[in-house]
Amino acid sequence: MILVCGGLADGVTELVCSRLQDCGYPYRLLDLARFPENYRVAWRWTDSGPEGWIAATDWRLDLDAIGGVYARFLGPEDRPQMPGLDPADAAALRAEGDVSLMALLEDLTCPVVNRIGGGLSNNSKPYQALAISRTGLSVPPTLVTSDPAAARAFHAEHGEVIYKSASGIRSIVRRLGPDQLARLDLLCDGPAQFQAFVPGRNIRVHTVGERVFATRIESEAVDYRYAHLDGLTARLEPIALPPTVDAACLRLAHAFDLLFAGIDLKETPEGEFFCFEVNPCPGFLYYERHTGQPISTALAELLHRPAPVVRREAGNTMT
Amino acid sequence: MFLFLGHSEDPCCAGVFARLEARGLPVRVVAAPLAPPAQLTWRLDAAGLASSLYPDVPDTAIAGVLVRDTGWLEPAGWDAADHAYMQAELRAVTLAWLAGLACPVINRPDAALWYRAGAPLLAWRALLRRSGLPLPEVVITSDPAEARAFRRRLAAGGVAGAVYAPLTEAAGFLLADDDAWERLAALQERAPVCLTEPHGAVTLACIVGNAVIWDRALPPGAVALEPALRRFAAAARLDFVEIALAPVRRGLAVVLVDTLPRLEHFALPARARILDALVALLTQERERAVAPAAPGVLS
Repeated sequence: MILVCGGLADGVTELVCSRLQDCGYPYRLLDLARFPENYRVAWRWTDSGPEGWIAATDWRLDLDAIGGVYARFLGPEDRPQMPGLDPADAAALRAEGDVSLMALLEDLTCPVVNRIGGGLSNNSKPYQALAISRTGLSVPPTLVTSDPAAARAFHAEHGEVIYKSASGIRSIVRRLGPDQLARLDLLCDGPAQFQAFVPGRNIRVHTVGERVFATRIESEAVDYRYAHLDGLTARLEPIALPPTVDAACLRLAHAFDLLFAGIDLKETPEGEFFCFEVNPCPGFLYYERHTGQPISTALAELLHRPAPVVRREAGNTMT
Repeated sequence: MFLFLGHSEDPCCAGVFARLEARGLPVRVVAAPLAPPAQLTWRLDAAGLASSLYPDVPDTAIAGVLVRDTGWLEPAGWDAADHAYMQAELRAVTLAWLAGLACPVINRPDAALWYRAGAPLLAWRALLRRSGLPLPEVVITSDPAEARAFRRRLAAGGVAGAVYAPLTEAAGFLLADDDAWERLAALQERAPVCLTEPHGAVTLACIVGNAVIWDRALPPGAVALEPALRRFAAAARLDFVEIALAPVRRGLAVVLVDTLPRLEHFALPARARILDALVALLTQERERAVAPAAPGVLS
């Protein structure tokens, strides 16, 4: 039995459930919009891993019957109010429920897409870039600085530069233009992250276990995900990557202990590949809908017939 | 120069500071590492990583870093959303800077450690178990019947009550009487609760590098756990970790893991050994001071 933990109203979770249904793979949905108040759980840890069960109004699932887990946690904005509780108390109870569930998922022996620990590198883009570079993929020249002169020199060196947050918050890529250059003295108040603009075509890679799906995106927008905000479009098509790049993407996912990852690459006109970041909870719906790539089918197969993936000790110290 | 991320009033910072200063080694203690006079440049490209935090000291001249705090931006004067953003930015940058340093960093953080500082024991449980360390029984449940069953199991083992330990708080509440269990059952209508078995008097161990430094008298069975404690610290990539052990129903068990050990928890002889071992790690004199006393020797 596969356990899906996510929001029923979330398109990605809905696609995972639909695909599992379509494949005939049995699953249970733990709707995180209604968790924990609409579910009952009993988990017990003794000398071995956890044992116990999860129950909804119409089903009960023993932990040892779970063969795979897909988890996509929700933000507070995706959850309804809890009747009779003020929002702060409700948020505290939901946080306790989420942390409990995360602890359980960390300690299950079956494949979990994905455990929380592996994805935390996404909270620090420069840290992740350093880790990416150590797996053999090139990263764009990157500068994190609180020195206005260093930022100006970096801009002068590369000509075209983008900036983006260093954390996972407000993570939109923007071009460094005259307005921003005029404000660089504000860097003294706190560092910002700059990257040399890499010309070429965006590629999104989804690794699912040992399988790789690459999608090329043609767009004039700096950040194609937000092309519509600038009145631009994005065209997507499946491509095959050079085997060395395929292998590097898999190494990267393994390094972060991610059974499923979204990896952002760019291929320059010279045929060089640069890696920008790794997403531990990719919204792959956008790519599958545009290309027909069977990403959700691969995910369903990974969860139903798990490949002999050995959990790695490295890269995720708390698990 | 040695750099401490923390506060000078922290006994650990102060103790290591004094030892390094006595050797004539310069130390800087900063609570906000990215605040002026720091002026960060952290550059990653095809040539590799080059970074500089202080205009007067190149990063290559930083001999070692002791991380005692992950940094906190005072919220006064900030809009709440902007504060959360700036806090996240500063922590993200500090993590990357620490991860790239070539010198000893204690503890050198990875993302899981950095973003889950203060994580409950449950977060360490799998690694502790794989390292061969005994653990207390834990139950998470929203079913009052399961909670009552846990109460009965404890009572059968001669233990009165259980500890309600929320995973999102650093607190525990002893469920000592029927009223407390009834209030717990009411809470379970809304959310699962985390219960653990009460434990006896705590014995502290501090692992510094490869040394296991015990505080005060050792209970039976403690020495036998030293190899497992070392395995755990190595697997967790922690050079410096405080572990509390205490008797539960089935013997001695790990009841706390703290990746920011508190020197003030230890008696004076143990403090001295911890500080010596930290200095040895920072100055890379591993052979001399990290080699522990014979296993089980009291500090």
